Amino acid sequence: MAMDRRTFFRSTAGAAVAVAAMTTIDMRAWAQVVEEAPVELKGSLCNVCSSHCGMYIHVKNGRPWKVTGHPDHSRSRGKLCPRAHGGLYWIYDPARAKTPLKRVGEQEFEQISWEQATDEIAERLKRVLDQHGPQAVFYGHNPRRSGVVYGNRFMHALGVNTIQTHNAACNTARVLGLAHTFGSSYNADWANSDYLLFIGRNMGEGIRTSTALAFGEAIARGATVVCVDPRLNESAAIAEWVPIRPGTDMALLLAIANVLVTEDLYDKEFINTHTIGFHRFERVLPQYTPEWAEELTTIPADRIRSIARGLAAAAPAAAVDTGWKGAFGAAYANSTDTARAVAYVNALLGNLNKRGGIRISRGASLASLPFQAPETPTGPRGDGVGTDYPLATGHGLPHLSMEKAQKGLVKAGIIRHHNPLRTIPDYDHMLAGYRSLDLLVVIETHMTETALEADYILPEPSFAEREEVIEATGPSICMRTKAIEKVHPETKSFDEIITLLANKMGVGRYFDFTLDELNEALLSGQPFSLADLREAGSIEVSVDQPEGVPELNTPSGKFEFYSQRFADEGFNGVAEWYPPETGLQLRENEFRVVHGKQAYHSHCATANIPMLAQVTKDYDTNRVWLNAERAANLGISDGDYVRFTAPDGRSGEARVKVTERIHPDMAFAPGAYGNRTPYFELSEKLGGFNPHDITAYRSEPIVGHTMMSELIVEVKRV
Amino acid sequence: MGRVSRRQFLKASGFAGAATALVTGTAAAQTVSPNLEGTSENGQNPATNRMAMLMDNSLCVNCHSCRLACQNENKLPVTEKYIRFDYIETGRFPNVKRLLNRHSCMHCEEAPCIGVCPVNALEKGAEGFTHTDFETCIGCGVCLHVCPFEVPVISEEAGTGKPKMYKCNGCRHLIAAGIAPACATNCITGAVQYGTWDEMRAKAEERVAKLRATSPGANVYGIDEQGGLGLLLVLRTPPADYPHLV
Repeated sequence: MAMDRRTFFRSTAGAAVAVAAMTTIDMRAWAQVVEEAPVELKGSLCNVCSSHCGMYIHVKNGRPWKVTGHPDHSRSRGKLCPRAHGGLYWIYDPARAKTPLKRVGEQEFEQISWEQATDEIAERLKRVLDQHGPQAVFYGHNPRRSGVVYGNRFMHALGVNTIQTHNAACNTARVLGLAHTFGSSYNADWANSDYLLFIGRNMGEGIRTSTALAFGEAIARGATVVCVDPRLNESAAIAEWVPIRPGTDMALLLAIANVLVTEDLYDKEFINTHTIGFHRFERVLPQYTPEWAEELTTIPADRIRSIARGLAAAAPAAAVDTGWKGAFGAAYANSTDTARAVAYVNALLGNLNKRGGIRISRGASLASLPFQAPETPTGPRGDGVGTDYPLATGHGLPHLSMEKAQKGLVKAGIIRHHNPLRTIPDYDHMLAGYRSLDLLVVIETHMTETALEADYILPEPSFAEREEVIEATGPSICMRTKAIEKVHPETKSFDEIITLLANKMGVGRYFDFTLDELNEALLSGQPFSLADLREAGSIEVSVDQPEGVPELNTPSGKFEFYSQRFADEGFNGVAEWYPPETGLQLRENEFRVVHGKQAYHSHCATANIPMLAQVTKDYDTNRVWLNAERAANLGISDGDYVRFTAPDGRSGEARVKVTERIHPDMAFAPGAYGNRTPYFELSEKLGGFNPHDITAYRSEPIVGHTMMSELIVEVKRV
Repeated sequence: MGRVSRRQFLKASGFAGAATALVTGTAAAQTVSPNLEGTSENGQNPATNRMAMLMDNSLCVNCHSCRLACQNENKLPVTEKYIRFDYIETGRFPNVKRLLNRHSCMHCEEAPCIGVCPVNALEKGAEGFTHTDFETCIGCGVCLHVCPFEVPVISEEAGTGKPKMYKCNGCRHLIAAGIAPACATNCITGAVQYGTWDEMRAKAEERVAKLRATSPGANVYGIDEQGGLGLLLVLRTPPADYPHLV
């Protein structure tokens, strides 16, 4: 039977009728039995964002009814953000993928058996591999342990090394910039710092609860927290807000460095002992005066001086936070070098592994797997990493893959728990890519935009109904456990699906173990068993943290102001100022569009959750923000509809929030809205503008990220 | 005791007294029976085991986690929420401030809603919170008319269609079991806390003393209002700035 969205929902209506028929029983007696049933606390992990916070799922009568934060998980620390609470809805969501589905027309599917699905997928995948080779195949996911262990192993067994994550539309510029300075990513010691500089970082809306707690501690203790953001965000609302012109963060950081060096406020011992290339940096630095930066950033020169002096006075208990996606994760042509400039300022503060400074932390480790592993393929990847983009990270370039798909170079893909069609800029570009493939398999819990483009949708149980591979998160060893029985009996967890497919593809020998055996192997050497961990959900272990300055993971083993690697590839050896690709000049009706998070939504995955959508509705928060004065000049009032038109002519409509809380150059679009899957009916009703619909496909030259904020639009009232 | 009848108060405190011993974890002799007639040294604190929630608005990042946790904890329909927020934006770019305040039941010591309820659906717990007996409530809305803070919401109950009054119950079932209300347990920055009224007042005053360095108008709201509130607020600016404060 072919099914589209309407028949899909109708097929689940039967369940509601069955429940209604039960109302003839003695409701009062029934209610009492239900009420008095014991509550079980199942230690597990959240799945509403990538953080996988530890939590307890409270189960009563076989149904989860609330979640609470796990105290022994290093990311939740006993607290949960709104999304975790709202995420319970996903379990019983009518928009779940419930059985294997085969595409029979545009957004039309028929239910098929697992046997048929895996037979057909294997046959078609083999054909692509035979005809086009392994670089014509990719695997995309949100990289967490099950996806890495099973997915990568399967791909490697097939000779495929194009493994991609969401990072090119998340934090890949930041990761690369930090890797080529400090040698790795690091965190600020927020709770103990006396002076924190946030560049686009927003603890109140891009949430990990442990970091929000640390931020709250810093504020309560009276630490200075300066939030640089074109928008008065929710962190800035309780700290000091410094509005900046979007795309100019690097200019601010270079000017801060200029003040630290000019006024002799930096840690010479650190610079002399632990860094290379400082003198080259010193040579470019004199031009970056606060007055120079004021012109670009619109931040008064004196304010820049006061920030630099404040940092220096508090150092080493002072830090420039590295952000996440925020201002320079994957935003502008200059984002990678902005991340390097963040690192430069921290180096000048000499705050590495100092209390209140920054910390490169060690986490808990798990045992390596004793099972026969396929060799890691060494051939070229299919997405330009290492070839077109020599410095790109192993997280890959899914947007570039879709260009290659349109050129016939990429032919098949498997995507799991990841919705790149909606979450990567340029919907039309991504769509054209997916539609050019010979085979797209999507392994999902929900009927997402990407799933609807698949030839086969393979359904997984929700986060509360499946077990997964054990994770080590900071000092916590933790796992997703099965809190309730499967809601949809035809769903299978990722490990089961990959094992099935591997057997059909003739590489089953690499999957000759059960999930339990794998998890037991990972725990080898730990003083607790799999049963203990399953019971606890999270167990914190003690991990020795490095003190002082260790050898850094850079080519020189030291902090690198100058990167030979960058210079060799034709990029700036020392990070120097250059503007975003779209420039900084705006005409009277032009705005730069920047999107960002809200506390109660994850990416484009949660606008269909009634409790979370209700917050949006109650406070009317899916509007695009425009600066009050500029809106007035254009005759735009609060609540008006406007049309955003991109340089290539594509346009979208949005309601606006007219506010003093935003820089005149920027239009801020909350990033959670604008689902295009008809299965997310509530999200569709809620509406909202998604900038990815009109952002052009682009790749930043250094790491190849998606340059999500290189979008300047003309705004007109409709 | 304001408009709380002695009968109501005794009934309520008999229920919650034992539970409060669990909450404070102190010797049973000190806490098992509330001090019904006496007053504390400052004359404003009739029950020695009086509890409070503290909402430090200067630490709130407006994430709504409290609201969501509360909705699940109290099994509320999607459209009902016990915790709402008021927002104030002042100034012109770039000198802008955004303030907020939690708007929910303030748990007045002298709670006018209790005395006017025609079906006695409202009562004081010994910890000082105002509890609703949801089954008894007929949703008439008289409480709304006398509430100084415009808190009660009258809505049709899902399923039965009967009008009911919705407001924060202080997670009565949790505090009876010695567990803090869901909003306090879940707050991701430590803005919402729960403890004895005296402790919460002391914390609030300590925080305000610190805040005055940067926000001269900072104050604790709820020490005297309505005989003292079970929800104490730390505000960065005078109460008159906030639409629902009196």
